Amino acid sequence: MPSQPIILVQNLTKKYQETTAVDNISFEVKSGEIFGLLGPNGAGKTTTLEIIETLRESTSGKITVDGIDIFEHPWDVKSRIGVQLQSAGFYPDLNLIELLKMFAGLYQINIKNPAEILKKFSLEDKRKSFWNKLSGGQKQRFSLATTLIHNPKIIFLDEPTTGLDPQARANLWDEISKMHSEGRTIVLTTHYMEEAEKLCDRVAIMDKGKIIKTGTPHQLIDDLLDSGFKKPQEVKQADLEDVFLSLTGRNLRER
Amino acid sequence: MKRKSPSQIKPLLTIAYYSLRAQLRNKATVFFGFAFPIMFIGVFGLFGSSGVSISVGISAEDQTGPVYQVISSIESVKIVTKTDNELREDLTSGQIDGILLLDSANNGQVQAVISQANQEKSSAVISIISGVVDKLNLEITGIKDPPIKFDVQEISGRDFKFIDFFLPGIIGFALLSTAVTNTAFGLVFLKKTLVLKRIFATPTKGATILLGQSLARLVIVLAQTLIILGMGIFVFDFNLVNGFTTVLNVFILSVIGLLAFLGFGLFVAGLSNDENTIAPVAQLMILPQFLVAGTFFPIESLPSWAQPVVNLLPLAFFNNAIRKITIDGFGFEHLLPQLLGLAIWAAIAYLAAAKTFKWE
Repeated sequence: MPSQPIILVQNLTKKYQETTAVDNISFEVKSGEIFGLLGPNGAGKTTTLEIIETLRESTSGKITVDGIDIFEHPWDVKSRIGVQLQSAGFYPDLNLIELLKMFAGLYQINIKNPAEILKKFSLEDKRKSFWNKLSGGQKQRFSLATTLIHNPKIIFLDEPTTGLDPQARANLWDEISKMHSEGRTIVLTTHYMEEAEKLCDRVAIMDKGKIIKTGTPHQLIDDLLDSGFKKPQEVKQADLEDVFLSLTGRNLRER
Repeated sequence: MKRKSPSQIKPLLTIAYYSLRAQLRNKATVFFGFAFPIMFIGVFGLFGSSGVSISVGISAEDQTGPVYQVISSIESVKIVTKTDNELREDLTSGQIDGILLLDSANNGQVQAVISQANQEKSSAVISIISGVVDKLNLEITGIKDPPIKFDVQEISGRDFKFIDFFLPGIIGFALLSTAVTNTAFGLVFLKKTLVLKRIFATPTKGATILLGQSLARLVIVLAQTLIILGMGIFVFDFNLVNGFTTVLNVFILSVIGLLAFLGFGLFVAGLSNDENTIAPVAQLMILPQFLVAGTFFPIESLPSWAQPVVNLLPLAFFNNAIRKITIDGFGFEHLLPQLLGLAIWAAIAYLAAAKTFKWE
């Protein structure tokens, strides 16, 4: 298991006039792992992520990404990381091929075959489509394509599966696992616990701007069981999501 | 170790190229930027194509004889054929400028009926008819060499048509609306749809985005100017005083005008993050200038107390400058007051924009 910390967050605080969105948090992300920031809405996950992505300023704290101080050298960080925002838009009057070429230009790289990239994300039929005409899952997949366009080794995904149907979510999990197997470090936020359990090597649970617990999903579950916790009902070998997927199939809809 | 920020040339060209491409696919841009000015030129280009024209009513039974023949051959006289009573009604209501009663039975009697209401047209009718009568009198009496000769000498002057006045104003209007409305709407839209936020996650600076957007507008404005000029020249015989130099000067002035007016677009874009508030503010900035600052009629025809104020409007500086180029044939050395005026407005606009503009 790789263990070199590639992201180091120390005493990060972000205050808006009255409220403290992020309250003196510290954590590290090891190279090559999938790290999950969990928490209810308003816990400060997105704010934390957007500060590391250099999109927001912090009130205080120190952050290094791949050994670079992000407040000193934001431009170096931007070209090393891949970012999928929780809500982002793309020019509505450009088709997917044009948008990919545009992002290649913005990341200052050359892409030879944008259609090939679309194919990787099962969007080859949508090459002439416009962003607004895509379904939720297609939008997320296209957004991932722009995230990976410059082949970054560190990826930030902010609630990548929120609002998707089970097929699209399962497909996105596969994509994330693939990115992970290519050796990339992934930081994601979610408020779906099964997603975190399935994907993440380690998670940090945030609430009201603070990190209240960090560890591997197994560790956290064992800790809870050790404290004498028992689930009140019998655990079945399948859940409703399994039923849904076995009835409707795992094939992606709206290709 | 000091690191340099990444080169911004490729992102700049990328932003410029793709926002231009997106713009040209946008129906609103195409309509307001191109179709609208062309419609204006098309409609107003048809007005006033020739000089003064006079309509004279002559009843059908009077339409014979030498006097009628000479008058009907005059190009600027339009003959209206109706009955006597109808012609009198038309004259009273101002639809025709005069009635001619020709007693064709004897050539010696020509009578003109004119209206007191329109003295200018009436005197034109009188002078044309009396000219014809005098000429015929001389011919009939056989005087080939009258003691007093009246000779009109024509010097070759520029044939000034309404389009020559109107077209430069349309260039100014198209420029102002692209620079203000299009820029403000475009930026607010990109902010609101979070396109800008996504771009900020790439190694692209804010200044690069603004400059790239401006470059795209520059191309649009030059295309507008080219199309308006081309339509004027080829369809409506717009007069190019100094040929290609005039065209070149109009292009250079368009670039200067865009630079000045873009500041207002950025200012409006900064006022609000909502397209619905952008529209009235942008219109408030454009429409009054469009109406008074010399697009449709010369500023000199406004009441004299209003002129000094109107002449200080940004569009007035531009319109005065462009007409000095297209009508007077002046070069930029004669446009210093107008250029200074535009520069001062630009400074005010960019300072205000720096105060209001927000990226989020």
